[in-house]
Amino acid sequence: MRMEWNMAVNNTSKFKVAASGVIPFTFIIILMLYIFGPGGDLLDFGVALPEITIEKVDFIDSEIQATVRNTGPIPVQVVVADVNDRIQPSAVEPDGYLERFETTLVRIPFEWNEAEPYRIGITVDDGTRFEKEIESAAFALEFTPDLAIFFAIIGTYVGIIPVMIGLLWLPFIKKISKQKYHFFLALTAGLLLFLAIDSIEESIEVSNENLANSFNGALLVATVVVLSFLALYYVGNKIVSKSDSLNFSKPVAIGLMISIGIGLHNFGEGLAIGAAVGIGSIAFSTFLIVGFALHNTTEGIAIAAPMSRGKLMIGKLAIMGIIAGSPAIFGAWIGGFAYSPFTSVIFLAIGAGAIFQVILILLQWIQKENDGNLSTLSVVSGFAIGMLVMYLTSILV
Amino acid sequence: MKTTRSTLMIILLATTIGLSAVILFPNLSEAESELKTFVTHSGKVIRTTGEVIDPLYTVSEVEFDPMEYLREFNYGNVSKLEDGTTVREYTIIAEDDKVMEVSPGVFYNVWTYNGTVPGPTIRATEGDLLKINFINNGSKEHTIHFHGIHPAEMDGVFEIVGPNGGKFIYEFEAGPVGVHPYHCHVMPLEEHIVHGLYGVFIVDPKEGREPADEMVMVLNGLDTDFDTENNFYAANTIPFYYQHHPIQINTHELIRVYVVNMVEFDPINNFHLHGNLYNYYPTGTDLIPSFYTDMITLSQTERGIMEFEYTYPGKYLFHAHKVEFSEKGWVGMFLVNDKAESDENGMEYGS
Repeated sequence: MRMEWNMAVNNTSKFKVAASGVIPFTFIIILMLYIFGPGGDLLDFGVALPEITIEKVDFIDSEIQATVRNTGPIPVQVVVADVNDRIQPSAVEPDGYLERFETTLVRIPFEWNEAEPYRIGITVDDGTRFEKEIESAAFALEFTPDLAIFFAIIGTYVGIIPVMIGLLWLPFIKKISKQKYHFFLALTAGLLLFLAIDSIEESIEVSNENLANSFNGALLVATVVVLSFLALYYVGNKIVSKSDSLNFSKPVAIGLMISIGIGLHNFGEGLAIGAAVGIGSIAFSTFLIVGFALHNTTEGIAIAAPMSRGKLMIGKLAIMGIIAGSPAIFGAWIGGFAYSPFTSVIFLAIGAGAIFQVILILLQWIQKENDGNLSTLSVVSGFAIGMLVMYLTSILV
Repeated sequence: MKTTRSTLMIILLATTIGLSAVILFPNLSEAESELKTFVTHSGKVIRTTGEVIDPLYTVSEVEFDPMEYLREFNYGNVSKLEDGTTVREYTIIAEDDKVMEVSPGVFYNVWTYNGTVPGPTIRATEGDLLKINFINNGSKEHTIHFHGIHPAEMDGVFEIVGPNGGKFIYEFEAGPVGVHPYHCHVMPLEEHIVHGLYGVFIVDPKEGREPADEMVMVLNGLDTDFDTENNFYAANTIPFYYQHHPIQINTHELIRVYVVNMVEFDPINNFHLHGNLYNYYPTGTDLIPSFYTDMITLSQTERGIMEFEYTYPGKYLFHAHKVEFSEKGWVGMFLVNDKAESDENGMEYGS
């Protein structure tokens, strides 16, 4: 008897919980139906203006190609294309009608001249013209084995070699006192914080220059940074907590996390380099490459610092160096051959999130080793010097 | 518990990736393979699987026919006074709600006299008494301001005609001889003019002019995105029209073009004729030409009469030598036929 009564209570309460969860949703649905149905007139004021964004312009043989996205609130028709404000008969593939967020390719036959600036204009059906300015026309890169090898070499210079050089500090870090060791760990955290801020700045810049306002650039970056942080935080803790059963020592687990984080970051740097070569600023990218190489040597230290506390494992260290450095090669390939501002923004933000989680892990580790204390001189000065070193080497980039 | 959590994570990840793929590559699903061709302005033939965007109108598509406007003159309803004076009566109706396709795919709100931009070409002989019944069916105030000689109260500046059926009768004697513009003179003036409230007013000398193949060209611009810069230029409103539909004329025949520059925003416009020179009568007020040239420069509402004859048959361009204007539509072509051949078809002269 008593049992049954209990069951009944249980059932009702479960039902109540379910109902209280569902009821607000029901109201949201009713509200939506009302607004899109009979209540539509209430909101029917103001004029919706068309908006398109010219996301990408490629210069190929006797032709300029513009990738156009409808970033406004209403569908549009692409009706006129011009180069430097001079109308050109053109082709739109697959067609000129664009629903919201749809893209199309406008092919403008045009004998363009290398290294000259061009303004590409697209007019939509209500007569509004949108424009994108290209500072210097250059052939769009087409995939060739030679070019792929070229990018791989650049990626190696920028990613793998400097990280490996940085790792060579490991014997030095190994021999120093605990205080100095904490200094180097904090230095690493400082270096990484700088990199994360740098990535965020870069991704917001790319999004401001190339993406429409409707993507909410800064918020897109913030969301991806947080998501990437959370995902890696979850996975990272799993790896660290299971490091014993996985036959990893804790320093190796942390080193691995740092190299994954740096790898994601270097992928973003590779994208930037590939894109710089892609838009023809070759001289600029030679400079960029030298800068990145110096800059990235410090990333090797970031991996070496935690690893110095375990046994010297040259094999594992080399693998970590490759995990951290080689994404620069893939980034350069994608940036050079298939550049898209949207993917750039996403990957730069993922890199930033990854680094934030590495910083957190480092700080937690120092705190644990230091008996819960983070405010020692070695930690604070290490952090500060890390930031400073990065700033000074960044001037080279 | 653990498995459900990781399944959930996988589902979440898959949805995120799927959604971003849809945003990034929305056109993967719609592939079209029919091949079309088009010719660029430099004569290259291009193939595409997609849609062609070209400011090329076919005759059947065009809402306002520049070819019809070119040689159409409105002489009004003619009657005589007791003293023998000719009275010409015209009706002009202003509207401002029409949306016209001005170039293929480009829709623009034109303000019109009698439904077109430019309005009808009003033509009379010097000394005729003109009576213009003006009806404003627009939603804003409008007037007609004629260039020429008339009493102050017929100037269409202070005599504002109200919207939705407002009326006014402009009465004055036609003069002086020449080609003049007429346009709305309500503030903001620029807005009323660039939307299309203008037309041509021709006053013929009493003794008449030599018979010729006569045509009217209003040089105008369209600022379709309201940034005080013209997006399109044209002779008679439709960009590139006479380039794709050449004006047919004959060799050894006098051609007379009444040209009026109504371009706003840009300080000057000009008119260059290929393979020939023309006699130019500024404002058409004098019967002796001032220049023999292939290039005239025109400021706002500056106008004149051009007279020329072609010796050799073939295609001849005419266009603004301000190349920006010609590459945005102010370019056309004369197709000069050999007179011997075209005589058989019979050629109509202007009056």
